[in-house]
Amino acid sequence: MQELLLRLFSGLTNGSIYAIVALALVVVFRGTGTINFAQGEMALFTTYVAWWLTTLGIPVWITIVGAASLGFALGAIVERTLIRPVRAKNDMATLIVALGLFIAFNGLAGVLFGPITKQMPSLFPNDLDTYLLIGGARLYFDALGVWIVVLGLLGVTFWLFNRTTLGLQMRAVANNPESARLVGVRAGRIMMLGWGMAGAIASVAGVLIAPLSPQQLSLQTMFHVLIFASAAALLGGLNSTTGAVVGGLFIGLLQAILIGYVPAVGGELQQTAALAIIVMILLVRPTGLFGQKVTERV
Amino acid sequence: MTLLDVTGLRAGYGAGEVLHGIDLSIDAGEVAVVLGANGAGKTTIMRCVAGLLAPSAGTISLDGDAVPLGSPDTMVARGVSLVPQGRGTFTALTVLENLRVGATSRRDDDVESDLQRWMDTFPVLADRRGQLAGTLSGGEQQMLAVARALMSRPRLLLCDEPSLGLAPLIVKDLFEVLARVNEELGMAMLIVEQNAQLALGIAEHVHLLEVGHVIATGTSEEFQANDAVRRSYLGY
Repeated sequence: MQELLLRLFSGLTNGSIYAIVALALVVVFRGTGTINFAQGEMALFTTYVAWWLTTLGIPVWITIVGAASLGFALGAIVERTLIRPVRAKNDMATLIVALGLFIAFNGLAGVLFGPITKQMPSLFPNDLDTYLLIGGARLYFDALGVWIVVLGLLGVTFWLFNRTTLGLQMRAVANNPESARLVGVRAGRIMMLGWGMAGAIASVAGVLIAPLSPQQLSLQTMFHVLIFASAAALLGGLNSTTGAVVGGLFIGLLQAILIGYVPAVGGELQQTAALAIIVMILLVRPTGLFGQKVTERV
Repeated sequence: MTLLDVTGLRAGYGAGEVLHGIDLSIDAGEVAVVLGANGAGKTTIMRCVAGLLAPSAGTISLDGDAVPLGSPDTMVARGVSLVPQGRGTFTALTVLENLRVGATSRRDDDVESDLQRWMDTFPVLADRRGQLAGTLSGGEQQMLAVARALMSRPRLLLCDEPSLGLAPLIVKDLFEVLARVNEELGMAMLIVEQNAQLALGIAEHVHLLEVGHVIATGTSEEFQANDAVRRSYLGY
């Protein structure tokens, strides 16, 4: 029981990070129809900047705001200067641009901050004795903190999407870009904001996960996060924000259970095993768990 | 007074020119109709006037001022609203959200009272306000598309083939509403229609389009009296 709880806690923590990165991917996908493969590396870069700010003595909670703001600006600039002009000529070419950005941001982080692994300070108390005892299992405050921040971020995002005019316009552009332009929505501006939002959300994920990641803050930190977040977005249905969150949590938990209870897949095989299960689900439900092909009557 | 004035409009898609110099004008409060065969360029005119397509030559003026071409948000803010062919409803948004987003260009505070007004005009929309638009029938979606366009408070409503694929009774209802809106609000309308009989019934002026040229313009009565037009478009 105690063992199971420990696994679940760790699965939820990783899963909540996958969930918000998947959410960022979905926000971009709904606006632009592209999976932004560079999302993780853009967040890696802003996380490095946050780390650099902490070395100047700036408190972590301010650096996370800094990283999110930088992530917003980077996302918006990338959409306006690289994605939009390419997309006007060739839709598929945006994928190549995203792959190029993946390499560029990873390289930039390497050049500016060097290959040595950094210790990103945690936002929350992370001493060995700061935990709650639940059913005999230790829930550390830093994991609990991640849950709370992620929950807050999800709340704000869903409020924005479903309760504000800006969110309504974003959903309208995602659903039918031409009709959105017809009613006066400035679709270009909306896509730029979407990329900016995604950049900010993923940056928060980067700053949260770096102190907990087995890789700490290194050039590889965000790579597996992006893989699992992409899988989560696909699993949930690429155009569903709810699906992204559910998919992320599901994958986090699935991973934790596989590592703990299926000795054959522990260690190196766990990533393959998790992805294999997702492929099987997608074979049965190609649109993902929450992705609807809206049946349109004519 | 002239509301919309289109002169020398040339436009097309890629290398293919569809409109070879169109002149067209509409007075405030007037209902005009564009008749023409498939491929004559009717939808292209509508897309140019709504700002979705930038013409390669020509001018579009509202109240005598030339407007920037290819800018849909300018056109809707200046009071021109298009009900596109195939309706273009936001299928993943609810009926109410479709109507709300239709008011995007407005800065005034009367959006709520307009919502009420158009739901009273189209009671089926009020009944289904919380439903996703994609689940509505074709006729209901057409009502929604028209109501969404009306939410921007246009002075000129452009309707591209509103009767397409709808049952005759629903089409009749729709045209009655359009006539009523025109009368009550003095809203000018430019309607593209395959169903010439229906169109002539509501329109004051008719523009006959043939492969990218306006080949005749006249009043509805003149057209109905013209034997050649009757044979080609009305079938009697």
